Amino acid sequence: MTSITAERSLREPERSLREQYPRLLPHENRVDVRELERLRARAHSFAEEHVRPRALEIDRRTGEDPSWFDWDLVRAGAEHGMLSFLIPKPAGGAGGLSTQAAVVMEELCAACPGIALIFGAHALGISPLLLGGPSQWDGVLAELIGSERGGEPQLMACAITEPEAGTDVEDPDLLRRARITSHARRVPGGFRLSGTKRFISNGSVARWITILMATDPRRAAETWTCFLVDTQSEGFTVARVEHKMGQRACPAAELTFDEVFVPDERVVGREGDGAPETMIVLACSRPPVGAIATGIARGAYERVLGWLEEDRAARGLLERQHVQLALAGMEEEIHLARQLYMDAATELDHAALGGVMSHPGVRALGHVPASVRGRAPVRGWLASDRARDATVALLHRTTSERAVTRSLALSSMAKARGGDVAMRVTGAALELAGLRAGPVRAELEKLWRDAKLCQIYEGTNQLNRLEVYRGLCHSETIGCLPPLRGIHPGTNGRAHTNADVHAHPDTGALGHASANGDGDRS
Amino acid sequence: MTATTLAERTEIRAMARELARRELTPRAAALDAGGQDALHECWRLIVELGLDRALLDEHHGGAGLGIADLLATIEELAVGDGGIAMSVLLCNAALTTLVDEQLAGVLAGTRWTLVPAASGTEVTISEGKINGKVVCALGAHGADGLLVVLDGPEPAALAIGAGAVGSRLERDVGQMGLRAAPAASLELADVDCAPTSGGSVSVAGALALLRAGTAAIAHGIARRAYEMALEYAHARQQGGVAIIEHDAVSDMLASMAVRLACWPQIGVDPAGLAIDEAQALAAKIAATDAAVASTTDAVQVFGGTGYMVETGIEKLMRDAKYCQLFPEPNWVAQDELMRSERACRAA
Repeated sequence: MTSITAERSLREPERSLREQYPRLLPHENRVDVRELERLRARAHSFAEEHVRPRALEIDRRTGEDPSWFDWDLVRAGAEHGMLSFLIPKPAGGAGGLSTQAAVVMEELCAACPGIALIFGAHALGISPLLLGGPSQWDGVLAELIGSERGGEPQLMACAITEPEAGTDVEDPDLLRRARITSHARRVPGGFRLSGTKRFISNGSVARWITILMATDPRRAAETWTCFLVDTQSEGFTVARVEHKMGQRACPAAELTFDEVFVPDERVVGREGDGAPETMIVLACSRPPVGAIATGIARGAYERVLGWLEEDRAARGLLERQHVQLALAGMEEEIHLARQLYMDAATELDHAALGGVMSHPGVRALGHVPASVRGRAPVRGWLASDRARDATVALLHRTTSERAVTRSLALSSMAKARGGDVAMRVTGAALELAGLRAGPVRAELEKLWRDAKLCQIYEGTNQLNRLEVYRGLCHSETIGCLPPLRGIHPGTNGRAHTNADVHAHPDTGALGHASANGDGDRS
Repeated sequence: MTATTLAERTEIRAMARELARRELTPRAAALDAGGQDALHECWRLIVELGLDRALLDEHHGGAGLGIADLLATIEELAVGDGGIAMSVLLCNAALTTLVDEQLAGVLAGTRWTLVPAASGTEVTISEGKINGKVVCALGAHGADGLLVVLDGPEPAALAIGAGAVGSRLERDVGQMGLRAAPAASLELADVDCAPTSGGSVSVAGALALLRAGTAAIAHGIARRAYEMALEYAHARQQGGVAIIEHDAVSDMLASMAVRLACWPQIGVDPAGLAIDEAQALAAKIAATDAAVASTTDAVQVFGGTGYMVETGIEKLMRDAKYCQLFPEPNWVAQDELMRSERACRAA
C-alpha cells in the first residue's frame, strides 16, 4: 500500500506551478518561476526520499517519547536546501520569501506535516532576522549557512506564546490587556530575560531562538521587543516537551528563561518595535501555514484516491457517485486553498515587502564581500542605532502600513480557510476509507490529527478572521511598521511621518493607526 | 426479559453516571494510553455492576434491562470514557445475539465482543468453515469470545471462542480512538462455525443496536466535550476577560449546546429489545456527525492547550471520529438508510 500511495504522490509535481496557480506571472510578481519550480522539485524529492517513508514511524516514536528527535532527517533536509531557502542571498541562502516558504511547505506537508513543521518553525525563527536588515546577514544567518554546509545543521525557533497569553500576543490590541509574565530587564550592555514561553515549535532542539518579550510587562504592546537568544546561554532551560495530538515530529517545548543575558547587538530591530515586527512576521508566516494545510489536504486526497484506485478492498467504490462527488469536492477545496495562499504570498512578496529586498541600496550592500562587511567599523555601523533607523526608514519608503495590513488580512484568510479545508478533506478522506481500509487508514488518521493544529497555530482561525474583517471588510490600517524616528521619507507620493502612528511618548513604539482607516483607504 | 420501572431506570442511569465520574474519567488518560491495569480495573467495575450483560435476563445472570436503559447507561459511561462504553455495548450486543445453548457456556465476567463483517468481501462461509480477515475489530483484542455478524443478503452470526483453531488476532497498535475497546485484526482460516440467525436479538437487531449504541456513546462524548469547554471558557482569560466573553468562543459553545439539545431520539420499547433499524441508522449518522463537530470545536475553544494530550480534550475528538466510522462510515450508513427506504416502498 505504501508503494501505491507513494506513486500517487509523484503525480502532483507533473503539473507545473503555472498550471496549479495560473496567476503566477513573473513580471508581475517578481518571482523567478523557474527558480521556484526548482525549489519545489527539491522539496518534493526530499519529501519522497526521506520524509514520507519515515512519517508513520516518527509519529509512533514521538507519540511514545515526545522529546525524541530525528537529526538525520534534518541533515537530509539541509542537503536539499530546506533550511536556507529563506536566508538572504548575501548571507549565502536562496533569498526566498513567503512564496518560496509556502511552496516548500505544501510539498513537505503532503508527505508529513510534522516533519515539515521542523523546517517551517526554523523558517519562522529566521523571519524576524530578515526585518533586522543587513546587520543580521553576517551573524547568525551566516552561521546557519556554515553549519548547514558543514553537515551539522543548526535549527532555529521563534518564541512568542506565553502560558497566560496565546492569542493575546498575536494582536497588538489584545497585547495591551494580556497577562504577560515574562520580562526583559535592561542591564549594562544588554538585557536579562526572565519568564516562560510555551508551545514553542523546535524549542527543545533549536540552537538559536528569536523571542518576543516586553521590557516593561505593564506596557507590553509599547515595549514588546525581539531578541536573539543563544540556547547555550546560562539560565536557558527546556522545561518540558509537550505530548501533542499530531505534528509530533516537531517538538513543542516549554522554555524557561532565568536571567538569560542577551547583548545589545542581539536585539533584533529596535527596542519596542516587537509588536509591528510580529505583525509583519505573521503576515509572512500565515501563507505558509495555509500551504501547510493545503499540503495536508492534498496528502489525504492523494492517499485515498490511490487506495480507491488500487486496493482490492476498495474495488467498485470509485464507480459510486457519492465517492466521485466527495473526491471532486476535495479537489475543489484544495485548489481554492492553494489559490488563497499563493495570492497572499505573492501579494506580500510583491506589494508589501518585495521592495525592501530588491531596493538598490540593499542589493548594493549585498554585493559587498562578507569579509568587508565583517570588518569592525562596517559591522559596528550596521549594528548601530542609525543603521537600524535606516532599515525602518527603508521599510517606510518601500511599502506602507496599508499594504502590509492588506497583506496580513489576505494571509489570515489563506491560513484560516486552509485550516478548515485541511480538516474537511482529511475527515472526508478518512470517512471514505473507513476503519477497514488497512495500512492507508493509519496515514489518513495521522493527517487528520495533524490537520487540527492548522486551525490553532499562528493565531486561531477566529483571530485570523477578525484580521480579515479589519484589513479587508473594514479597511482598517494596522500599525504594522515600526515607527520612524526623525526621518521623513516620501513613499509613493504619500508622506509618512511619526504623526501617522500613535507613538508612545517614551519609546516611540506604535499602536494602531486610526481604526476607521481615515485617509488611508486604498 | 424483566421490565424495569422508571425509578429503576433512573437509578441505573445515576449509577452509571457515578461510575463514569468517579472511576472512568480519572482513568481516561491511562485507558487512552493503553494501560492494561486501568482497563482491567474498569472492566471489573463494569462486571460488578452487571453492565457487561445488562440486556440479558436474570436467568442468564443479566440485569434484565431494555435497550432504552442500556442506551442511557452507555451514554453516561461514555461521558467518562467512550472506549469503555463501546466495550459494554459490544459485549451486550454479542451476548444477546448468542443462542441459549451458546450463552450457557459463557462464563460470568468474561468479555465478549461483536464483530460486524461484510459477507463475501471480508469473510466467506463454505461447508461449515469460515475464512477471511476483518481489520480493526473494536474490542476484539483480549476478548474472551467473538461474535462475528455477517451483514448482507443472508445475515448470520458466528460465535468464535478466544484461541479457536484457525483464528488469529493481532492487536491494532495504530488504533486512534476508543482505545479502551482495544481493536485487533482477525484472521480466520477454515475455522469451524455453526451460523445462527441470532438469539434474543436477531443479527439485524444486533447491528441496529450497535448503531443506536454508537449514537449514545457519541452523545456522551459530546456532553463531556461541552462540559470541559464551558468550564475552560469561564476560567481562561484573553484580552483581559474570560474567553466566554468573546463571541468567537461563545458562538462555538452555543453550537455545541444546540447540537446536544437536538440529540435524535430513537424509538425503542422501554423494556424490550426491539429497535427501529432506520431510526438507529439516522440517529447514528446525526449523533456522530454532531459529536465530531462539537469535539472539534471544544479543542478549538481550548486553543493550543487543547491540542496537548494531557488536557484530555483531543482524545474526545479522536473517540468521536471513531464513532463516525463504526460500525460503518456514515456515508455507508446513509446508503443503507436509503436502501431500506427503497425496500420499504417496493414492498
